[in-house]
Amino acid sequence: MKEFLLDSPVTDGFFAYLRNFGKVESLPGVGEGFYKFEKPDWFSIKGFSRDTTVEVRFKKEVMDLTVDFVYLIFSTYRGEGEEIDLSVLKRREEAIGERVRKRLYGA
Amino acid sequence: MVVRFLKQMSAGERPLIYLNNAATSWPKPPGVMEAIAQSLSLPVFGSGRTTGTQGEDYITRARESLSALLGADTPENLVFTHNATDSLNILISGFLAGIKGECHVLTTALDHNSVLRPLYEYDQQHRICLDIIPFEGCSIRPEAAEAAIRPDTRLMVMTHGSNVLGSVQDIRAIGNILHEHGIYFIVDGAQTAGHIPVGLRDLPVDAFIFTGHKGLLGVPGTGGFFLRDPEAIAPVRFGGTGTDSFSLLHPRRMPERFEIGTHNYPGLAALAAGVEFIRETGMGSIMEKAERQTAFLIRELKEESNITIYNEHPDLPIIAFNIGGLQNDDVGFMLARGFNIIARTGLHCAPLVHRAIDGGEGCVRLSLSWNTTDEECRIAADAIRRIARNADSTVGQA
Repeated sequence: MKEFLLDSPVTDGFFAYLRNFGKVESLPGVGEGFYKFEKPDWFSIKGFSRDTTVEVRFKKEVMDLTVDFVYLIFSTYRGEGEEIDLSVLKRREEAIGERVRKRLYGA
Repeated sequence: MVVRFLKQMSAGERPLIYLNNAATSWPKPPGVMEAIAQSLSLPVFGSGRTTGTQGEDYITRARESLSALLGADTPENLVFTHNATDSLNILISGFLAGIKGECHVLTTALDHNSVLRPLYEYDQQHRICLDIIPFEGCSIRPEAAEAAIRPDTRLMVMTHGSNVLGSVQDIRAIGNILHEHGIYFIVDGAQTAGHIPVGLRDLPVDAFIFTGHKGLLGVPGTGGFFLRDPEAIAPVRFGGTGTDSFSLLHPRRMPERFEIGTHNYPGLAALAAGVEFIRETGMGSIMEKAERQTAFLIRELKEESNITIYNEHPDLPIIAFNIGGLQNDDVGFMLARGFNIIARTGLHCAPLVHRAIDGGEGCVRLSLSWNTTDEECRIAADAIRRIARNADSTVGQA
């Protein structure tokens, strides 16, 4: 598990953006709003809206393959309303996914 | 968005509410902090290890104070180790060293990995044949222990108080049954020492384990055991003791029989101070406060229909629960990050308990100490109820 301190608070929009890569659950009524993003076999991200800290838990067997993708999705996000070109990220996700599957399931 | 740097968990702006005392108690009484500082303010005074005579003999002080608290008549039979797990390894290995061939050993489904893992290792090595006694409600029935006894049963190791369910076991009844059959009885008191009276003087227990950093209010790295008959356990560690130095064989008298190398002086100074704090405060007061606060929290949590409490009447200040629709790990995160309340989640090193109560998923555990305030309990109850009220209707909707 790693905790990441970001240069600006996470927002509802950020977690909506994460839905492009996995499943997001939320409890808006808890604190400022609890969010959890899960990308099975890769990692999960938990945090509260308006908090600058998020917790990232990696599947340790493939962490060496997936950790850079966490940085990539954070650095690609430009804020609410900003257009994001997902094509590069999606290609990268696919390439890493292939290696993750091979490592975990041999296929 | 830029990741600035990796960060450790910090206390944040809200005051920290610490409800993980069954793991390690915090905060410590001021006297414990002072004792550590004091113990380091002068060179270590260790009989046989220095020509100096200055300083306090913290080891003897800790041994005598703790013996008095646990109701043990022979302080020299109280041995210091690194922690409860260390003690269990010494005792289990030392007992089996005196047994030829395979024997039958009993433990319980309430037990911690500190008991289970050493026993499973010996079971794998065919040194023992291990049987696990299941619990009913939150307890091991003495009749179930009796029914599990075989002609070749030599040892039973079990917890005094469950670290998940907070239930104190009837070790008197179980010990009496075991002793009728000549079975050696090791009790793990990691969760009970400092929380309830133990009374080793007349308990049918052969060895009783404690740890310093939980209810006894000391610091991690201290623990030990009381041994009624030292000859029943073979020493399995050997080395310097500061005594009988000409002998190349390890001394067999107590407590050197089991205490090797230089002691943890600051840790034992802290332990002595923690025990003295408990004795000054009074076990009655400690128990009354724990019972009242635990009952309050359970009453509050029961108000939410989607909260499952696994023991509504714990004997120890331990509350294990889950919130329907939420993973225990997520509840722990929300409490920590959203409310600055520290609990513990997961399996609590007691996998067989969780296999029985929650399908092995684990739960959230709140555990209190003398230093927990009523206001902290109120804030924690409000936070948990708020999470529970928001749980079912919103999960899965981003």
